[in-house]
Amino acid sequence: MKFLLSLAWKNLSRYRKRTIITAAALAVGLGTYIFMDSWLRGAEKESERNLVWYETSSARVLDDEYWEQRDRLPLKYTIEEPEALLEKLAEKQIPAAPRIVFSGELILRKDPFPEDGSLTLRVLAVDPKKDDTVFRLRETIEEGRYLEPGEEKILIGAWLARDLGAEVGYPLTIVTRTRNGYYQTVDVEIAGIFNCPNPAINKGTVFIPLDTADRYLEMNGAVTEINLLLPERADADVLTATLESELAEVRPGLEVKSWRDLAQDYLAFAGMKKSATNIILLLVFIIAAVGISNTMIMAINERTKELGMMRALGMKDSEIRLAFLLEAGGIGFIGAVMGVVLGVGLSYWIVTWGVDMSGLIGDMDIGYRVHGLFRGAWHPEAMVTAFIFGIVLTVFVAFLSTGRALRRGIADSLRYS
Amino acid sequence: MIKIDKVSRNYRTGEIVVQALVDVSLEAEQGEFLSIAGPSGSGKTTLLNLVGCIDRPDSGEIFIDGEPVSARNKKELAMFRREKLGFVFQTFNLIPVLTAYENVSFVLSLLDIRESEVKARSMAMLAEVGLDGKENVLPGRLSGGQQQRVAIARALVKDPRIVLADEPTANLDSKTGEDTLKLMERLNEKHNTTFIFSTHDPMVMDFAHRLVSLHDGRVISDERRTK
Repeated sequence: MKFLLSLAWKNLSRYRKRTIITAAALAVGLGTYIFMDSWLRGAEKESERNLVWYETSSARVLDDEYWEQRDRLPLKYTIEEPEALLEKLAEKQIPAAPRIVFSGELILRKDPFPEDGSLTLRVLAVDPKKDDTVFRLRETIEEGRYLEPGEEKILIGAWLARDLGAEVGYPLTIVTRTRNGYYQTVDVEIAGIFNCPNPAINKGTVFIPLDTADRYLEMNGAVTEINLLLPERADADVLTATLESELAEVRPGLEVKSWRDLAQDYLAFAGMKKSATNIILLLVFIIAAVGISNTMIMAINERTKELGMMRALGMKDSEIRLAFLLEAGGIGFIGAVMGVVLGVGLSYWIVTWGVDMSGLIGDMDIGYRVHGLFRGAWHPEAMVTAFIFGIVLTVFVAFLSTGRALRRGIADSLRYS
Repeated sequence: MIKIDKVSRNYRTGEIVVQALVDVSLEAEQGEFLSIAGPSGSGKTTLLNLVGCIDRPDSGEIFIDGEPVSARNKKELAMFRREKLGFVFQTFNLIPVLTAYENVSFVLSLLDIRESEVKARSMAMLAEVGLDGKENVLPGRLSGGQQQRVAIARALVKDPRIVLADEPTANLDSKTGEDTLKLMERLNEKHNTTFIFSTHDPMVMDFAHRLVSLHDGRVISDERRTK
């Protein structure tokens, strides 16, 4: 065994160029896998964060009838006099932001807009003082300013503004229906343009002050939802269940939905996307495996004659196989270490600085709730997997290749060139 | 000591069957310095491979020390080669990453011999083949003749019963080839090791104490020579 170990070590150290080339092939494959995994995982994590920060919040209190009808954005199922609930939540030190969500038709007129037109979109009425405690929209204002209470102004997304040719100060009309079903027209002016990292918000939502919406929609203080900010590490599903029973004591007929419930369409899509992502990662793995196999097969094939000589001199097949496996294990270890170092280096770059994809994907919806800068995420499990896989694969390929070489007759191996 | 009894060996290449050896019978005693001569394709290497237990005959039997080789399984044959046989190859076949000393000592390492004895025997054998001072040199930095000496030292260091050498001088110039043969002859006399070597070189044949000639896989002559 000592001799076999020493032989493996000498082969590794004295065929330095071959060892480095083989290990480098392995390292490139594993490094690419770790990098890709970091990138895709980062996009998923950032999507979830952007969902919570700009779209769903951590959890949402709704009237229990509202959820079934949510696609119609009804003003019928509301939370009346939400102050009592807000007080209760404040007692529990849970930041809360009431909102009214409704649909409206945005009417644009030529001058100042480039042409006349209209489009239907989602309008979010937010309390400018409380919304910041839960959401981060204010930080994304690119032009103009954020909303003030009571004013007849709106915020519009940068993508939508670009499509419409809108600028700060342009007038708009929103046609909608009040809570009682009457048509209502709201004349507003663009106060600011935001560029939110969540493309779903950026392209199809406008924001107006809550009290302005309350007045026009005849809500009498009612809201359609109260959004909550739960501690980051808390189990949202458990906490929402507890909250629901506690809030029921103040106001029955409400339900609390966690961000996972609220984003179930996205999560279902993300689940499908994860399968595609796994296929991409599998392909990267296969490419790495083919590269490693090819290099190892060549490395062993070119030593067929040496292998025949060892057998002729009386080394048993099991000893020869072990000698080659030890050597392959050494190459695998070096390659795996290099691969993880490369992967960590590339991941550090994408985690720290990210890649600006806006030039490549522009306003295109690629399913993630991310646009512009894509950042990676650290994933130690992928590194450990890649490390173990690198060694196991190299040893496995060496096992197969040595087996094939050992199936040759000794005389045949000695003649091999 | 070695008895080859009506041994035949065929090779198949697609549909074509080549008769490498046909009913060859031969006996060799301990300490012989025997050359198998013949042109290319006459079956010299095949015969050495069969005696060296790295190939099996299609028919006939080979006995070494009275025991039939065919009775041994793969593992037993490996152990037999490890303990009793030494090989010298035409292309030297040294392990390129091991030094001259390591190439020689590795065959002893396989025999569970104490490290101090491995060292002493390997160094002594290298000195015997005229390579003292070259112990730590890698094969790539040795001349062809020196590499063949390392191979001879490797074959002899374990004190085998038989050394089989396939065209041992074919890759050497005539002067180095002659030196190598003289070395083999000297070691044959000193250690009483049986040397069987193949050749098609008349100069090499002249060195043999016994010359067996093959043609088309058959023994056509077997002559003993006195020096």
